[in-house]
Amino acid sequence: MIPLLAEVRVDSFKRLPKSNRSYPPRARLRLWIPLFLVWLLLLPLVLLLLPVMAVAALALRINPWRALTAFWGLFTGITGTNVELNDNKAAVRIRIF
Amino acid sequence: MNERRREVLQMLAAGKITADEAEGLLAALEKQSPPVAGSAAEVPAKTKAKYLRVVVDAAKSGELGGPTKVNIRVPMQLLRAGVKLASLIPPQAQIYLDDALREKGLTVDLSQLKPENLEELIDGLNDMTIDVDDKDAKVAVFCE
Repeated sequence: MIPLLAEVRVDSFKRLPKSNRSYPPRARLRLWIPLFLVWLLLLPLVLLLLPVMAVAALALRINPWRALTAFWGLFTGITGTNVELNDNKAAVRIRIF
Repeated sequence: MNERRREVLQMLAAGKITADEAEGLLAALEKQSPPVAGSAAEVPAKTKAKYLRVVVDAAKSGELGGPTKVNIRVPMQLLRAGVKLASLIPPQAQIYLDDALREKGLTVDLSQLKPENLEELIDGLNDMTIDVDDKDAKVAVFCE
């Protein structure tokens, strides 16, 4: 399934240099990105570029259909990816639904 | 214990059939009947791993020495797609890549990287667990 929604959360903590304690986040960024709208906007551009990419693939002796299915697999495979990074200075979370 | 098995055992107990005949009848019954849910004879279907997880828990890292936690979950489908993409590399480019890797000490033949070989590897990853325990960090790589 194509990725439809992305959550990006970044919390930046204030931290005293001599202390390992972290304080409540001083900067918070929370974004819910509707990826399905982004794909809708990019769709005309992709359709325009498809013939160009097909010609380029043939010039490089690559099967255009195999290339397309490989990229499609990469595109749909991103769904379900979670990345979380936490330390004293910041907490970052990226989730793709 | 179903009725047919009970009848066979009752006939054996009554002496109407011999032990060998009873064994043959029971074996025939087992072949005919489907496995009962929860029985030892039923082998559960092995579920394929869907995600590759990397979990890092470092007690001290960076210049300030604070703890760092990393939790990454990547779908297996992405790995499969990545290999399929790698198999599209033109042959002349593969030669250059192989030479570059060989210079770095890696003898890899990229032309052998095929999606069908990867399926076998991914099936083997189902049971893979890598745990690294250090005084400063713990790393776990596993599939779920």
